[in-house]
Amino acid sequence: MITLRPKRPFKVSVEAKCITPNDFAGKTINEIATLPIWEGNKKRTLGELFKIEGESNVAPEDCSIQIFGDSSRVRGVGAKMSVGKIIVEGNAGMHLGEGMKGGAILVKGNVDSWVGSMMEAGTIEIMGDAGDYVGAPYRGSTLGMKGGAIVVHGNAGYEVGCFMRGGLIKIHGNVGQFVGIHMRNGTILVEGDSEGRAGAGMLEGKIIVCGYVPSILPTFTIDSIRPNVKVNEERVTGPFYRFVGDLADGGEGKLFVSQGKNPHLNFYEKYL
Amino acid sequence: MKNNVITSVKNACAVGEAKFLNYSNHRRPKPLIRKNGELVEASLDKAIQKSAEILAGASYPILYGWSCTSCEAIRVGLELAEEIGGIIDNTSTICHGPSVLSIQDVGMASCTLGQLRHRADLIIYWGSNPWSAHPRHIDRYTAFSKGRFQPSAWRGYLSRLSATLTKKRLLRATSLILRRKISVPPEVDRSPSYALARKERKMIVVDVRRTRSAELADYFLRVEPNKDYELLQALRMLIRDEELDVDEVAGVPISVLEEIADVMVGCELGVLFFGVGLTMSQGKLRNVDAALSLVRDINQRTKFLIMPMRGHFNVTGADTVFTWQTGFPYAVDFSHGYPRYNPGETSVIDILCRGEADAGLIVASDPVAHFPREAVQNLVNNPLIVIDPHVSATSLTADVVIPSAFVGIETEGTAYRMDHVPLPLKKVVEPPEGCLPDTVILQRILHEVRKLKKREGEGN
Amino acid sequence: MDICVKDGKIVEKVNERKAKIIDASGMIVMPGGVDIHSHIAGSEVNTGRLLRPEDHFKDVEAKTPLTRSGVGYSVPSTFTTGYRYARMGYTTVMNPAMPPLEARHTHEELDDTPMVDKATYPLLGDWWFVLEYLRDGMIEECARHVAWMISATKGYAIKLVNPGGLEAWGFGRNVRNIDDPVPHFNITPREIIRGLCKVNQILRMPHTIHVHTNNLGKPGNYLTALETMKCVENLSKGDRPIIHVTHCQFSAFKGSDWRTLESGAEEIAKYVNGHRHVTLDMGQVVFTDTTTMTADGPFQYILHQLSGNKWVNHDVETETSSGIVPFRYRRKSYVHATQWSIGLELALLIEDPWKIFLTTDHPNAAPFTTYPKIISWLMSQNARKKAIGKISRRARRKSLLPSIEREYSFYEIAIATRAGTAKCLGLKQKGHLGVGADADIAVYNLNPMQVDPSKKYMAVRRAFGKSAYTIKDGEIVARDGEILKSVDGRTFWVDVKLSSASDEVASDMKRRFREYWTVEYENYPVPEGYLTRSAPISVKAEI
Repeated sequence: MITLRPKRPFKVSVEAKCITPNDFAGKTINEIATLPIWEGNKKRTLGELFKIEGESNVAPEDCSIQIFGDSSRVRGVGAKMSVGKIIVEGNAGMHLGEGMKGGAILVKGNVDSWVGSMMEAGTIEIMGDAGDYVGAPYRGSTLGMKGGAIVVHGNAGYEVGCFMRGGLIKIHGNVGQFVGIHMRNGTILVEGDSEGRAGAGMLEGKIIVCGYVPSILPTFTIDSIRPNVKVNEERVTGPFYRFVGDLADGGEGKLFVSQGKNPHLNFYEKYL
Repeated sequence: MKNNVITSVKNACAVGEAKFLNYSNHRRPKPLIRKNGELVEASLDKAIQKSAEILAGASYPILYGWSCTSCEAIRVGLELAEEIGGIIDNTSTICHGPSVLSIQDVGMASCTLGQLRHRADLIIYWGSNPWSAHPRHIDRYTAFSKGRFQPSAWRGYLSRLSATLTKKRLLRATSLILRRKISVPPEVDRSPSYALARKERKMIVVDVRRTRSAELADYFLRVEPNKDYELLQALRMLIRDEELDVDEVAGVPISVLEEIADVMVGCELGVLFFGVGLTMSQGKLRNVDAALSLVRDINQRTKFLIMPMRGHFNVTGADTVFTWQTGFPYAVDFSHGYPRYNPGETSVIDILCRGEADAGLIVASDPVAHFPREAVQNLVNNPLIVIDPHVSATSLTADVVIPSAFVGIETEGTAYRMDHVPLPLKKVVEPPEGCLPDTVILQRILHEVRKLKKREGEGN
Repeated sequence: MDICVKDGKIVEKVNERKAKIIDASGMIVMPGGVDIHSHIAGSEVNTGRLLRPEDHFKDVEAKTPLTRSGVGYSVPSTFTTGYRYARMGYTTVMNPAMPPLEARHTHEELDDTPMVDKATYPLLGDWWFVLEYLRDGMIEECARHVAWMISATKGYAIKLVNPGGLEAWGFGRNVRNIDDPVPHFNITPREIIRGLCKVNQILRMPHTIHVHTNNLGKPGNYLTALETMKCVENLSKGDRPIIHVTHCQFSAFKGSDWRTLESGAEEIAKYVNGHRHVTLDMGQVVFTDTTTMTADGPFQYILHQLSGNKWVNHDVETETSSGIVPFRYRRKSYVHATQWSIGLELALLIEDPWKIFLTTDHPNAAPFTTYPKIISWLMSQNARKKAIGKISRRARRKSLLPSIEREYSFYEIAIATRAGTAKCLGLKQKGHLGVGADADIAVYNLNPMQVDPSKKYMAVRRAFGKSAYTIKDGEIVARDGEILKSVDGRTFWVDVKLSSASDEVASDMKRRFREYWTVEYENYPVPEGYLTRSAPISVKAEI
């Protein structure tokens, strides 16, 4: 276990893509302290900004990193990691787990936007809320999250699962607009409400909303009513309206929306 | 012009005329530095020196504005931002930034304005009110302009207008004669295929309320607020002759939408202009996404183009210069020594709202008047330098104010029209004594910054 | 053999005691590279940059005390473009497509492209004035107006892209072959090509007409390419070339659809081998993710439909159009692999190296940073064997490459990348190391006495990828891949001097301007002061 504690509050953002088990493994604490990071436009070392304690020369698979204090301005934690564990005791900043290839990250507080962007494998669990663009790709790219799992116990923002290609995103709380936008594949499960426009531009994949949605996009068509729906190994109990879309893009994605929580949608039943 | 003062303006629209006649108002031609809470006059050298000190020492400075100055000044601004490792952003970030983001996802089928003047027979203004914001747009480039393949629709509009006015006069006359109010059946909104069944140029306005531009249009489509996305997506299916499950979208009956789709597909060359009605209503960049996708899809059946109605006179220029020098159009972050781009993270409003910046340089812009309150608070709490021809809310809160010359009136430069056509701006009058062009001021600040950094480097 | 440099030029001799001496023993010394066709500046290039942030963020160059920061990969930012060319030993680059209305933009970007001399070709093949005068048979009037345009836009050569097709694209249509009349204008592409070829001769332009053929990218289009080259045969006077067909790979497809696509390189090579009036450049494909951008609006739209990738279209009033679509060339794709083979076949089957030049139509077929790879393919049959082993089996079976043993020599590479291109462009002080030439020199760390390029093609690639020295105007600007000095190159343009009636042309343009364009006559021409280092080349026209 290696622990990091910020030495002072950060005003400008800190980019610390070296805070990963891959970068820490096999190094002494002094070596870890010399890893380069950015504070705004100033080049710093990890040791200048964080108090680092713990074991040296850990094997990557056994490497566990614990971050105390407020890291809401620390970006890129866990970027491209493939093994090991990171636990953020407070809040985490943007780009947490960017391009992750394995291992696990747990955040006990909230996380900022772009968590798990371009993720390939591994798991990220957020006990609090997440920002926008969960699992999304870089601007202009269509290569979103490919695999792995992101679980958010709180709420999430806009465009969760943008351009997703695989894997699972599970939001226990509510989501903002455009969940699953331009989705290519994968599964998104929202246990709370969605602000609307779910599944916009989706081509394939599965989105399940167990709570309230104000409306369904006109380019989706009702397909059936299902008593439950399968998400990986578990079954989520419905009943659900099953919509297919987004027809504007010739998509065949499946959008499941709770029947019970959305009585204003029962006019769709006449099309069945 | 008389004695170096502009007395009258010909050939300009209302906005342009106001600019040319009022440029000398609200000027304070001396540099100012804040001392003990008050802005006092200072020499240009001192103001430049102080600016350089503020910028060179900052860890995350922001450089904002740029849309109301010349491309030449913007080039220097980028060099300065790179030198100090700051974030440089232009007004796209509050205006058509979402459009740029959508273009990066979808692409855009567009053209220069002359193509439309020559060829367009269907013009759609969506979420945009050219009558107030771009007063000459309609008669220069679209419905009322004359092109090689399309005559102007002005006469048709005039005859319809005179018919309406005649009707109103007749009603007034009749009610005077009969000494009572005549009840008139309400004006029925004609169906699209009726209103648009003409060979000559046709104009459709889509908006949440009937604007002045809507009065000029051949057909006005009222869309429920914040439902543009649904409407655009529905049209994407309708233009492919596919059916929808629902009876109405965004408050518009499907039958009307089907007719609109027919008109769109049946035209020779159509154009969709969109404004902040799309970019800033709910959905933002995804609204533009849908509009761009719709136009792209229609190209399978007929020629259709799309263009954003840009606001500031050189915002297109700012995007263009940023892109060729850095690869990215706005929200460019140089803090790691190379350009990085991620609106939402590197855009100035988001940075200010998170309180991450520690210094600011504003060029030809007034963010204090336009930005959200939280952002403004963080902007003024940090050292702030303003380079602007005018006194503004922002310059009143600044720590250093450097008055500059007005681009296009007092100094020349290059600017880009909303369709990317570059145009030279001329110098017409001399600037007030002591007001230098932005390019010169920025060069001098850059020079001082380099001196300071060199000294710092040698000290280490 | 020593080369002496003084005041930016190659001279007979210098005072050795005062001179800086570069020991290039055991290395190859060539003139600096001259790229005849590479999209590096202007509105369609910049739109390509804007369109592809995902192309940039993985390939960045940080600021150094001597260089500006920037990004790559397939559409690099302007500073990075200059530095990357300099690192490869290139010193002159031609930007091949400039919409005349947006000439200012192209020149602004060229000014921000350091290290290399440059020039740009205005797109004239669909200009309404050209179409009207040629339709009416008024060749001399056409020539006078083209001369005005070249001066106004500070252009270097007359560029045609899908002549006639771009005007048709204004309404979403295209032309099907060189005899298909352009809608509304009653003129055929054949007449446009012949007309502008004559105009080019009348104006005595240093370069020939530079033609991107009709039907580009369409299976079976090798016939169009042959028709295009044939249609000006009888205008040829003597041995000098009168037409340059650019990125010929894209115009050398045999077959009737994508399934039956085959290489038409053999037929084209046969024609070129038997005629002297034509030059070509390759447009070589490399298997990578790149960005296509041309003025060929209709072709770019088709590419968008084929690939499903995002598409930008930009039509320019009265003049031309453009389209941008990201594109990935895959080894295992039969079509892409055939395209790859076609480019190399053209270069290897055309016997005279002064007739075919190395380009990738950057970035359409590949980014220019892949030139070293292509050089190794040209020089080494082994390198070709290795590459061909990885491509689609069907393409490999049909490719002519396994049966071609020819390998380019260093001398031929120098022709294909500098001497030949400079000559074709009429740049008399470039592309050679004779006395009087500009001192643009590239030194490559490769000993031809010791290294057999056929076997050691990786060494060839490395050497050409990073010059040992790049010298520009007599100054060492790069060494071993590091930029030592940032310099501004010149912008060449042709100053056509008419012997008569040049004022009449200007007032004629002024009178008719508003009918055609939506800008004012005064704002259209690019003043010479706009260019940081203007280098006009004067020619005296026949009229």
